[in-house]
Amino acid sequence: MTALRLHRKLDPIWASDPGFRGWFTTVNNNDIGKIFLMTATAFFVIGGILAMLIRAQLATPESAFMGPAVYNQVFTMHGTIMMFLFAIPFFEALTVYLLPGMLGTRDLAFPRLSSYGFWCYFIGSSTMVVALVLGVAPQGGWFMYPPLSSTIGSPGIPADIWLLGISFVEVSAISAAVEVVVTVLRYRAAGMSLDKMPIFAWYMLVVAVMILTAFPPMILGSLLLELERAFGMPFFQVDSGGDALLWQHLFWLFGHPEVYIIFLPAAGAVSTILPVMARTTLLGYGWVVAAAVSLAVLSFGLWVHHMYTTGIPHMGLAFFSAASTLVAVPVGVQIFGWIGTLWKGRPQMHLPMLWIMGFFVTFVIGGLTGVMIAVVPFDWQVHDTHFIVAHLHYVLVGGFVFPMIAAIYYWLPVFSGRKRFFRMGETAFWLAVPGFHVTFLAVHWAGLLGQRRRTDSYDPGQGWEVINLIASIGSFVMAIGFALVIVDVAINALIASRGRRNPWGAGTLEWATALPSPSYNIASIPVVDSRYPMHTDPDLPNRIARGEGFLGEPIRNRRETLAVSTARGDPLQVVVFPQNSVVPFVMAVVTSVIFIAPIFKLYWLMFVAAFGVMVLSMRWVWVLGSRHDEGALDAGRGVSLPSASEVADPPGWWGSLFLLLADAVLFGSALFGYAFLWTVAPNWPPPAYLQPGVAGPALALGGAALALAGPRLAERRLRGGDTPYAGLVLGAAGLGALMAACVMVMRALPDPSAHAYDATVWVLSGYVLFHAGLAAIMAGFVMARGRAGFLSPRRFGELRVVRLWADYAVLTGLIALAAIYLPGLGT
Amino acid sequence: MIARLWWVMLAGSVAIFALVMVLLALAFRKPAGPSGEAADQRRERVWIMGLGIGFSLAVLGALLVWGLAAGERLLPRPAPDLVTVRAEARQWAWDFGYADAPDRVTRNVLHIPAGRPVDVEITATDVIHSFWVPRLAGKLDAIPGHVNTLRIEAWEPGEYAGVSAEFSGTGYRDHVFTVIAHDPAGWDDFIAREAP
Amino acid sequence: MTEILRLSVPMTVWIAAFSAVYGLQGLLCAGAFGAVEPGTQRGLLILAGAVAVAVQVALLMALRAPRFASPSRFVQRVSVILAVVALISTVWTLLPVVASSVCL
Repeated sequence: MTALRLHRKLDPIWASDPGFRGWFTTVNNNDIGKIFLMTATAFFVIGGILAMLIRAQLATPESAFMGPAVYNQVFTMHGTIMMFLFAIPFFEALTVYLLPGMLGTRDLAFPRLSSYGFWCYFIGSSTMVVALVLGVAPQGGWFMYPPLSSTIGSPGIPADIWLLGISFVEVSAISAAVEVVVTVLRYRAAGMSLDKMPIFAWYMLVVAVMILTAFPPMILGSLLLELERAFGMPFFQVDSGGDALLWQHLFWLFGHPEVYIIFLPAAGAVSTILPVMARTTLLGYGWVVAAAVSLAVLSFGLWVHHMYTTGIPHMGLAFFSAASTLVAVPVGVQIFGWIGTLWKGRPQMHLPMLWIMGFFVTFVIGGLTGVMIAVVPFDWQVHDTHFIVAHLHYVLVGGFVFPMIAAIYYWLPVFSGRKRFFRMGETAFWLAVPGFHVTFLAVHWAGLLGQRRRTDSYDPGQGWEVINLIASIGSFVMAIGFALVIVDVAINALIASRGRRNPWGAGTLEWATALPSPSYNIASIPVVDSRYPMHTDPDLPNRIARGEGFLGEPIRNRRETLAVSTARGDPLQVVVFPQNSVVPFVMAVVTSVIFIAPIFKLYWLMFVAAFGVMVLSMRWVWVLGSRHDEGALDAGRGVSLPSASEVADPPGWWGSLFLLLADAVLFGSALFGYAFLWTVAPNWPPPAYLQPGVAGPALALGGAALALAGPRLAERRLRGGDTPYAGLVLGAAGLGALMAACVMVMRALPDPSAHAYDATVWVLSGYVLFHAGLAAIMAGFVMARGRAGFLSPRRFGELRVVRLWADYAVLTGLIALAAIYLPGLGT
Repeated sequence: MIARLWWVMLAGSVAIFALVMVLLALAFRKPAGPSGEAADQRRERVWIMGLGIGFSLAVLGALLVWGLAAGERLLPRPAPDLVTVRAEARQWAWDFGYADAPDRVTRNVLHIPAGRPVDVEITATDVIHSFWVPRLAGKLDAIPGHVNTLRIEAWEPGEYAGVSAEFSGTGYRDHVFTVIAHDPAGWDDFIAREAP
Repeated sequence: MTEILRLSVPMTVWIAAFSAVYGLQGLLCAGAFGAVEPGTQRGLLILAGAVAVAVQVALLMALRAPRFASPSRFVQRVSVILAVVALISTVWTLLPVVASSVCL
C-alpha cells in the first residue's frame, strides 16, 4: 500500500471531530497535548505576572504598592500556580504529546483519561484564578501550614479554595501518571525491550511512579485539613489531640519528591536532546537509568529537611541531612554523564543547546546551594530567608524552565511541522538567563543578610535596599526574555515554512513520522531492534508509512494498537481504543462540582455530583469490550493476537493496579498519621478507646472471606461455561458485611470532632466503607455487563478487575479495622 | 562558626562550579573522541564512576561529617551556669518568662545575661511562629502544644534584634522583638526588681 | 513485571528501612516504650541499622546469584548497580546512629 493511501484510510478513523465540538470530544493525544501545553503556558504567564508584582513591591523599602492582605495572596498564588498549575501540567502535557510517538505506538493507554485529566486541570486551575481575581485567593503560603491555614488562622473560603482546588488538580496528575506508567510498560513498538526504550520514557516512567506515590500524602493532608475546617475534626488542633506537625510531615512527604518530579522530566529532556546536539549517543544509558531510579527513591527520604527548625531531635535531623547530601550523588552522575556525552561527540550550539547550557550554569549553582542547606546548622540560619527563595528558584527555573524551553525548541518541528526561521530565540536567551542570575544572586545575598521571605515590605537602613532594587531590575529583564520566548515560539509555530522530516538527525521514533505528527501518530507499529532505530535503520520511516509494521492495514476499521510484554516488548494483544467522546469533559465538569460545592458548604450538591460521576463512569466503561468472541485477530506481519477483551489482564486491570498503588500510599499515609498522633501529639491518649465487641470483628472477618471468595468463584464458573452471578452476589454480600462493620465503628464513636482519635477512626472506617462500597458497585455493574452479553468464557478479564478491587478493599479493610480494634482490646 | 562554615562551603562551591564549567567549555573546543564499546566503557569509568560517584561522595562525606559535628556543638546540653527563659509567641507578639523570676512576664523584650548559656523554651498559643535572633543563634519554631528548647549565648552585653521567622499572616512583618543582654550586675538587678 | 520489581526492590527496601529507623528513633525519644536508658536507646538503633545493612547485603547477593538472574543483561546490570546504591545509601544515611546524640 502506498503511504498516502494508508494515511487516507487511517486518518478518518483516528481524527477528532471537526470544529468547535471537537475541542470537547477529542481524546487524541496530539490535540490534548497541544491545548494542555497552551493552558500550562498561560498559567506560567499568570504566575510570572504575580512574580513581577512581588518584585515591584520589594524593589523599594516600605513600599505602599500592596498591603499585606494583598501581598500574602500574591505570593501564595505565585508559588501555588508555578508549582501545581504550571510545572507539573507542563511536563505532563509534553509527555501526553510526545510519548506515543517516541514509543512507536498510536496513543496513550487510556485516551479518554487524557481528556478527563486535562479538563479537571483546566477547570480546577481556572477556579483558583477566578478566586485570585475576586480577591479571595488563599493567603497562607504555598505550603499552607495549619493552624494558620485552619479555621483559627484563615476563616472564610480562601483556604478551602486552595485545599479543594489543588486536590481537584491532583486528580489530573494522578490520571496522567496512571496513563504514563501503563503506556510505557505496555504500549510500545514491537521488540522495544526495556534496554531499547528512549531514555525520556524511562524518566517519565520513574516520574509517573513518583507522582503515584508522592501525591497521595498531600491529597490526604488536604482532605484532613478540609475535614477539620468543615466539620471540626481536630487533626491539627493540639487541644483536641491533633498536632500541627502532622501536616508538615504529610505535606513534605509530597513536597520534596515534588521537586524531583519536576526536575526529572527536564533531566529526561536534556538526556534526549543533548546527545542529538552533540551528534552522538548518551553516555552510560544504564547508569543514567539507575541514577534516575535512585534519585526518585532517595527523594522520599528527604522530607524532614524542610523541618530542621521544628525541634526534631538532632539524630533525626542527621538522618535527613545524610540523605540530603547523598541525593546529590545521582544528580552528579547525570551532570558528569552529560558532560562526558559532550566530550564523546561534537557539540553544536543550536538554540536548544544554548538553553541547555543555561540549565547547566544555573542548576549546578542551585545544586551546590542545595547541598549547603542540607547542612543542619547552616539551614538553622538561612531557613525561611530569601536565601531559600533564591535556592529554590535556581533549582526550579534552572532545573525545569530552561530545559523545558530547550525541549520546546527541540521538538517544535514535531508540533508544527515547520523549521525555525524567526530568530528572536537567541536574544530572548541573552535577556532571560543573565536577568535570572542578576535577580537571584542578589536574592541569595539579601537572605544571607537576614531578609525574611514572605514579608510584604522591609525597613530602610538594613543594607537591603540596593540588593532588592538590583534583583527587581534583573527580574524585569528576565520577564522580557521569557515573554520573547513565548512570542518567538508562537510566531515560529504559526508562520514558518514547512520543514523536512527529522531535521536534527535524531535517533528516536517520534521523528519517524510525517511532521506534524498525524492523528494516528504512526502508520504502522514498527519492529525495533536498537535504542536509536532511526540511526541504525534509515529506511524505517518509509516502511512504517507503507504499513509494513504491525496493524499496518486498518481492516477492522477501528482504532487499534498493540500491547506488548513489559520486559521484552513482544506483541501480546490488539487493543481497541474508544471513539471520540464528550463523556470525559462532562465527567470533569461534574467532578468539579464535587470539589467546588464544599467551598460553599453545599454538601448535598457534592453527593449529587458524586452520584453523577458514578453514573458517568458506568457509561464510560460500558462502551468498552465486545459482545461476541473475536478469537485471534490478524495483527499484520503474519501474526495473530487476541483482542484485549479476551485476556486475563485487560488495560483496565493494569490501570486499576497502578491507581491502587496510589490508593495504597494514601491508606499508608493515613495509618502513618494515626501512629504519629498516637506517639507525638501532646494530648493523647484520648479519654476512651473504642471497645470492639464481638459482632463487628465477626462481620468483618466473615465479610472478608466472602469478598475474597466471591469473585474467584465467579471467574471459575464463567470460564467453566457457567454463569458468574452467584459468585458476584456472594462477593457483594461480603463487601456489604465489611461495610456494616465500619458503620458499627462509626456509630460507637458518634462524635468525630470530640478528639483526633475519633476523627482518625472515622477517616479509616470511612476509607474502608468507600472502597468496599466501590467494589460492591463494580460487582453489580459487571453482573449487568454479563446480562448484556459482555462476558463469556473467553471474555472474563472484567472479573479480574473486580477481583482486584475487592481484594484491595478486603486487605485495607482488615488492616484498618485491626488498627481500630486493637487499642480497645488492650484497655 | 556558622560564618566559617559558610565561607568554606562558598569557596568549595565556587571551586566545584568552576571545575564543571571548565569541563563543559572544553567539550566544545576539542574534536570528537574515539567511538566504540571500549572507548565508551573507559568514558563511563572516568565520568560516571570517577567524577559522578567517587568525587561527589568524597566531597559530600567530608561536608556531612563536619556539618553534623558543628550541629552537635550547638545542642542544649546541661551546663553549670545555665539560665532558662520562656518564649511564648502569638499573633503578633512575644511574651517572655523567666525561671529565675517566675512572676515576671515581659512583652516583646527578652532579658538575658551576657556571657552565660541561655536555654529558651519556645512555644506558641495560636499558629506556628519561629524564634530567631540572627546574631545569637539559628531559628527554632514555636509550635502550639510543643516546647522546643534553643540554646543561645550573647558574648557581649547589648541589644540584639529578634524576629519571628515563620509566616503567620498579615502582621508577620512586624512580629519582632528585642533581646537585651545584661552584664552580671544588670542581670541581678533585673531578676531582683519587683514585678511591674 | 518481575523485571520492574527487580529494579525497584533495592531502593524501596532502603526507604522502608530508613523510615523504620527514623520512626524507631522518634518512638524512643517520644517515650513510647517508657523511659529507656540512653545507652540502650543507642544500642537498639545500632541493632536496627545493622539489620537494615544485613538485609541490603542479602538482597545484593540474591540479585547477583545465577538462580535469580534476569534474562536481560541490561536489567541484570542495572539491578545490581541499584542494589549497590541501596547498600551504600543504607550505610550512609544510618551512620548517625553511631555518632549523633539520640534525643537532644
